[in-house]
Amino acid sequence: MRPYFEKMTEFGHALKKGRIKSTEENLNSIKKIEKDVAGEVNRVKLAGFSEEKINARGQMTVWQRLEYLVDPGTWCPLHTLYNPMNNAEGTTNVIDGVGKISGKWAVIIGFDNKVLAGAWLPGQSENILRVTDLSKRLNIPLVWLVNCSGAKLTEQEKFYANRRGAGTPFFRHAELEQLGIPVLAGIYGTNPAGGGYQSISSTILFAHKDCNIAVGGVGIVSGMAPKGEFNLEAAEEIIERAKQFRAKPPGSVYIHYDETGFFRYVFEEETEVLDGLKDYMKDMPAYHPKFFRVTEPKEPRFPIDDLYRLLPLNPKRVYDFDEVLARLVDSSEHMEFRPDYGPEVYAGLCKIDGFLVACIGNRQEYLGRNYPEYADYPGMGAKLYRQGLIKMNEFVTLCGRDRIPVIWLQDSTGLDVGDAAEKAELLGLAQGLVYSIQQTDIPMMLLLLRKGTGSAHYLMGGPTANRQNAFTLGTAASEIYVMHGETAAVATYSRRLVKEKEAGRPLEPVIEKMNKLTKEYHEKSRPLFCAKNGLVDEIVPMHDLREYLVAFAGAAYQNPKSICPHHHLILPRIIKG
Amino acid sequence: MAKEIVAPLAGRVFQLKIKPGDTVEADEEILVVEAMKMETPVFVPCDGTIREVRIKEGDEVAEDDILAIIDEEHIEV
Repeated sequence: MRPYFEKMTEFGHALKKGRIKSTEENLNSIKKIEKDVAGEVNRVKLAGFSEEKINARGQMTVWQRLEYLVDPGTWCPLHTLYNPMNNAEGTTNVIDGVGKISGKWAVIIGFDNKVLAGAWLPGQSENILRVTDLSKRLNIPLVWLVNCSGAKLTEQEKFYANRRGAGTPFFRHAELEQLGIPVLAGIYGTNPAGGGYQSISSTILFAHKDCNIAVGGVGIVSGMAPKGEFNLEAAEEIIERAKQFRAKPPGSVYIHYDETGFFRYVFEEETEVLDGLKDYMKDMPAYHPKFFRVTEPKEPRFPIDDLYRLLPLNPKRVYDFDEVLARLVDSSEHMEFRPDYGPEVYAGLCKIDGFLVACIGNRQEYLGRNYPEYADYPGMGAKLYRQGLIKMNEFVTLCGRDRIPVIWLQDSTGLDVGDAAEKAELLGLAQGLVYSIQQTDIPMMLLLLRKGTGSAHYLMGGPTANRQNAFTLGTAASEIYVMHGETAAVATYSRRLVKEKEAGRPLEPVIEKMNKLTKEYHEKSRPLFCAKNGLVDEIVPMHDLREYLVAFAGAAYQNPKSICPHHHLILPRIIKG
Repeated sequence: MAKEIVAPLAGRVFQLKIKPGDTVEADEEILVVEAMKMETPVFVPCDGTIREVRIKEGDEVAEDDILAIIDEEHIEV
């Protein structure tokens, strides 16, 4: 298929000096937000004990372990700011992302041993379930750096039980294993109870000599028979037992290497545990990239930093979507699907790191007087109309047929509304797109360029597509809400305004509420809010966006569950005609 | 050579950043038209000098209305 993919149609233009002059403010505004986000990321990195203190104990921090383990330049962190239960620690206490180990993509996660010795915290199991889902979706190994002191007992009611509680990841590990996806675990430190299961639920256990894993730890075995109350006598008894178990905690290497054999390997040095993981990853089944690449990887023809000028921070500002895409894909080349139909939607085949991917995005510009064809009003980009919905349904279905991973690039104000839109079947076509995505069993990812609004956020590969969406990235310009705050204020208070007016009462109190609601919508849709609450999996600086696309494409093609030979692909033939 | 800058769509002139005599550079944003809740920037097609501005902020314009005229800069080689 060389004639199709070696040289595709070039698109995009180099920025001219006038555009550079006009966009200086936008660039500075985006960089300021990215700086704020980086500050928050740094706060998470510095949470808990200092690196010096952990190192003085003879241990590496989770960050140092990750740095040693992951191939340089491949780490794409996810969920760094995720803290949905607003923990005082400022983190869910696991650090995760996608990266290469020994040249193979893996999903990697570790407990932050600087914070409460890697304890379970509220919101952590939701974080872990996102990670196990990611491993399942991309069909790539899950690598754990276990160092988990068990539950933070003073807040256990927030995470211990429930359908997606702290025990659910153990079932997900079993599910991954049953799907043929290995879970490797490097184990450090004291891992009682939850930490024990965290370790034993993995496929192969690589232990550090000082680690232990156990059904219960010192705290439990020291006083597990309730007596109704505590008194001095009980306290003395507890002290005695605690001393005994602290000297020799249950489940040490002596037990789980020499006696049970649960630990496959035991290593003297912390780095040797990581070397063991690297050694196994080297032998992990994976296609060589050449098996699936359609061409040699190439960088885009334009600098990625142009994105700081091309993507307006102002959500109302129209821009050229194609120029943005041209900064992300190999050689800034593509094959556009149905360019003469559904102009509000871009759909096309592109290459990322030499792999074929499908890209779908929202064009933003004015669509002309005669579009949409079913209405007597003109159409505006960012909104979805009948043709765009049909086009996405077709394209996604064909991507499923051709086994081409999909990258959604979302910036939408939602669907067209009104009786003309209803008559044009938008509701049915929208749910039709949900159906098309759901029956398309291929990895997808979402890059939320700017607005995620209304049902368009669901329809265009959003995280609500649980089985398809591997991860969702946000930018400094991202904002997510059901509708703009001002629209919501009108929807909420318009009838009240009428009522107050008719009753001759002052309108100011209602107006005040409308402004308050608008302000709340603004605050609760910002990038940091979205990251903290998991509406996106990471806020990524513009400069780094392509690295995530490379990771996604490489991981999706590393060990796909189903393949389509290049010479059997139908989409390129349909596009060519 | 004079070049006309026309309204890409009907709407209200939201921002006007030029006046006659201003020198501009290719692809520079010179005004913004607000319509359908969105702001559409208008860029100049070439380096040059603004000869005439036919609108002011707040004006309603129709699609393809001439908004300004620019004298294209000629670089002698």
